[in-house]
Amino acid sequence: MPSTITEKILARAAGVASVKAGENLPVRPDHMIAYDFPGYTDVMFRQMHDDFGIRELAEPERYLVFIDHMLTKGTDKEQEVHQVTRDWCEFYGIPLHEAQGIGHQVMAELGYALPGNFLIHFDGHISGAGAFGALGWGVRRDLLEAWVSGRIHLDVPRTTRFELTGEFAPGVDSRDLVHHIIGEFGADGCAHQVMEFAGPGARSMSIDRRQGLCGMAMFTGAVSAVFEPDEAALSYARRVAAADFTPQLPDPGAEYAAVHTIDLSALRPQVVLPGSARSANTRGAAELSGTPVTKAFIGSCASGRIEDIRAAALVLDGRQVGPGVELNVVPTSDAVHRQAEAEGLLDVLRAAGAQIARSSCDFCFGYQKPLQADENCISTGVLNISGRMGSTEANIYMGSAYTVAASAVAGTITSAEEVTRA
Amino acid sequence: MSAARDYPPPPDVIRGRVAWVFGDDFDIDLVIGVENIKSYDADFLRGKVMRAYDPDFADRVRPGDVIVGGRNFGYGHPHYPPMVALRDLGIAAVLAESFSPGFWRGETYNGMPLLTVPGISTAVGTGDDVAVEWRRAVVRSGGTELHGEPPSDRARRVIEAGGSLKLLLAEHAADSGPPR
Repeated sequence: MPSTITEKILARAAGVASVKAGENLPVRPDHMIAYDFPGYTDVMFRQMHDDFGIRELAEPERYLVFIDHMLTKGTDKEQEVHQVTRDWCEFYGIPLHEAQGIGHQVMAELGYALPGNFLIHFDGHISGAGAFGALGWGVRRDLLEAWVSGRIHLDVPRTTRFELTGEFAPGVDSRDLVHHIIGEFGADGCAHQVMEFAGPGARSMSIDRRQGLCGMAMFTGAVSAVFEPDEAALSYARRVAAADFTPQLPDPGAEYAAVHTIDLSALRPQVVLPGSARSANTRGAAELSGTPVTKAFIGSCASGRIEDIRAAALVLDGRQVGPGVELNVVPTSDAVHRQAEAEGLLDVLRAAGAQIARSSCDFCFGYQKPLQADENCISTGVLNISGRMGSTEANIYMGSAYTVAASAVAGTITSAEEVTRA
Repeated sequence: MSAARDYPPPPDVIRGRVAWVFGDDFDIDLVIGVENIKSYDADFLRGKVMRAYDPDFADRVRPGDVIVGGRNFGYGHPHYPPMVALRDLGIAAVLAESFSPGFWRGETYNGMPLLTVPGISTAVGTGDDVAVEWRRAVVRSGGTELHGEPPSDRARRVIEAGGSLKLLLAEHAADSGPPR
């Protein structure tokens, strides 16, 4: 039976010859991942130990925990949260990676997001693993089922295939693509499905761009997103892999819920209005030209990788962040930070007046430097609901790193092509 | 932070009224206001729930009542406290045209019946009596009968157990196997 990438990955993980969309069955993830957060990991560890009586894990290497949130205040409470995590991980022998960057990126750098692998997390942005041809699925508190049984029951999802052609125009990137998709097909356009990306346009995208795109899949209603693994993905995987992997390609004749063709070269910069990423909030950046901003943020698990920092440096080179604007740049991982430093990109950003922060999730969810009431922020963060980055009275606009950098220079929402033309 | 209260599984037929009808792409956080989404205290949340929609909501809801949504109900980052608040008032099921996957998974984990019922958001109004055969996803209201998508066997077992944690504990007790 012809299968999609997702059906093949889930069949392999379930240990069966094939699965078909709509079927519900227990699946064995290659890795079961979490970041520590109060009310989540501490509760799950306690349940595993106290309620289920689990004292030893048969395969602790399948578990993976990151400390990437709440790193920046240095409070006693912060330390307590992380000590609980360290203690549990040591007790069970679970690999723990602390303060190396945002887990969804560090996971890839450490070779966990390998083509054909199946990964779960309670957080939906694990879908960024799709850049490598892996399937990453955010399962909320059902992570506990996997933690205690080694398997998780899933409804095998249908797939919508996106055939990408062309290449991004200067000043346009995958953030513009995902917001274009939401605008075109709706915030539930791929509901309960997986987005499958392929075609020459997909192959033209850097790994960073693919990660940013796949990481935002949930805002189309999708449970995940996956690229057909090509030579770029395979060579990255071979470089970092600590284990064998089996890339999966879709079969000719696989059944799709829909197939859409998108010409990347036709896309323009997009900006999302405060509130949510729903289609009615998606605008061309030019439409919002002139909207004042006081804060600008480049970072997050979607958009703080080297390509995003290069984009920001391209826009900011020889220019200055506008008066009254604070631009914060947070590389997605320490490795990205080091590379950006080595390439001289951070010097360019500093010279332009940007502030560079150590990699963590803390800006994105309003823990570090929270927005004040009535502030306007333009952000590459993943979410712009009220209160996400601080005050519920602040406004968060979302755009690409190009657009955020250009807006920081102008002090108003501006596309990169407007700034670089000036 | 007080823990969410414990609730028994629903009866075979949930009988109540439609407590509210929401529109498409409804962000569940708005039920209690974004500023309150970090609280799991049902007593605190009771004073916040639905204030932006109907100040009398908390006083008029009775056990067995349901809420109704449009397309993509629960869109956004579906935090748990709004449903803690609604369930504490007696909301026994959510009927919607369709659900956002994160909300669907998160609340199914908690044992709340979430039923996809095409046509529901226009077929019923606030205050209407409803009878919901949740296993078959059949909704009767007045002379109308609507048929939705029955939950999968796994979702049915989760709901019957009173949530995933209880189902997992029962399965674990029956199976002394992996992963330890």
